[in-house]
Amino acid sequence: MNQPARLKSEKRPIRYAMLFDLRKCIGCYTCVLACKSENDVPLGVWRSWIKRIEKGRYPAAREFILPIVCNNCDNPVCVTVCPVGSSIKRPDGIVYIDPHRCIGCRYCMAACPYGVRYIHPTRKIAEKCFWCHHRVDTGLDPACVEACPTGAILFGDLNDPDSPIAKAVARNPVQSIKADMGTRPYTFYIGLDRDVVEAKKTEGNE
Amino acid sequence: MDIQILQNIVPQEAFGLNIAIYFYLTGLSAGSFILSTLAYGFGIKMFKPLGKIGVVMATFLLMLAPVFLLLHLGSPIRFWHLFVYLNPASPITWGTFLLILYPINCIIYGYFMFRDKPKQTRIFAFIGIPLAILIHGYTGFIVAVGKARALWNTALMPVLFLVSAIVSGIALVIIVYLVVFGVFSKNRKPDFQLVGKLATILAWTIVLDLFLVGSDLIVLAVSHSEAQEVLQVLIRGKFFVPFVIIENLLGKVFPFFLLVIPKFRNVFTITLGSILVLIGIFFMRYVVVVGGESVPLI
Repeated sequence: MNQPARLKSEKRPIRYAMLFDLRKCIGCYTCVLACKSENDVPLGVWRSWIKRIEKGRYPAAREFILPIVCNNCDNPVCVTVCPVGSSIKRPDGIVYIDPHRCIGCRYCMAACPYGVRYIHPTRKIAEKCFWCHHRVDTGLDPACVEACPTGAILFGDLNDPDSPIAKAVARNPVQSIKADMGTRPYTFYIGLDRDVVEAKKTEGNE
Repeated sequence: MDIQILQNIVPQEAFGLNIAIYFYLTGLSAGSFILSTLAYGFGIKMFKPLGKIGVVMATFLLMLAPVFLLLHLGSPIRFWHLFVYLNPASPITWGTFLLILYPINCIIYGYFMFRDKPKQTRIFAFIGIPLAILIHGYTGFIVAVGKARALWNTALMPVLFLVSAIVSGIALVIIVYLVVFGVFSKNRKPDFQLVGKLATILAWTIVLDLFLVGSDLIVLAVSHSEAQEVLQVLIRGKFFVPFVIIENLLGKVFPFFLLVIPKFRNVFTITLGSILVLIGIFFMRYVVVVGGESVPLI
């Protein structure tokens, strides 16, 4: 995305991306559970989670589901603000945190428009979803992708025209959350509803 | 349309009270340093009694401030990473250097001042002024670069922080001056002409501060949806009392009238006004840091 068209034969660097097909998502929490167990995420914090809203009034009502993971942005503000260079963007696009460097200053949490980061309750360093890069590096899919029973999550190299995710992104209208923030998010959604992103629990909005 | 949130998680708070206190202390320090340079840097003789008070407060408060940064850190033992692994893009890295250079300069400046060496004092006063502006300006950039939050992500933030720093610095120096010269000193009496002059400067700096807060609010009101939401939280919601009542009415508007109307002006009203200003600016830091985070992101 965001790159000029090039010849098919030209070798492009890997750019990983994730795609949630919300038409297939049934809101079963298997991805959340797989993420929790794969990454040893403690109680009370989440690397991935599901936001559910209900729109309308019965019988004209529907539930909307939004699975949220890190967007692994192309222009990540967390990498800009980290004072010790502990948030790092890899050449393949994955943004990860060096656990040995992080001092727990929480600046990345203050700057991230998606609120995907947390402080580990006992290690006291920032953590977040990094698309299971330990699995990706060995050729496996991230835990959530592998666990999803309906195949609603796709993961792969967006620059490889033959990958399933590149085909799906090319053929469908896709959206991302808060693209106006200038972060260039690389987690895409098919069938994303505006209200499920914008609905917030502020005062006067019960 | 009925929209009901059935389930979501609440992300952890990033900055809290410790960061608000840190901003408050650096602001007080920068403000009192700048006041002390009026006599020892710019040579305005009238303000000479404030020089030593200003530099002592500036040094002391700036040594206290990083304690709250360490309290805020998740892994405080790793604080040395800030000096070893640098990220020039991050305002916190800028601050790492400022937090070393500024107190060292304060100590040298104060040393020459107490040794009565006006020439050297003057040199370090002029080195100190940009450092004092930067040490509080950079805290403004810390919040301004936090692009997730509509209340923070404005170019006005560093300027607003600087003006409120000068406001709180003047108020602090007035109180310390009255206490040192009025209570603890036997043969010296406070110079009421000087206190009056400071009160006038304070009053008009408060007006500048109110102008900046006002322009911030006006632009928030017409800006994008998250800006409008945070404005509602400030003027009608959870932060109505800290923001409208304490910070602006009790901390700025009321002290302005106390300080500026000649009929009201005496030691008591000036002291009361300065204390209210100090409380008001503390709530300003609190509202910016904690209030800015009060609107959920997703």
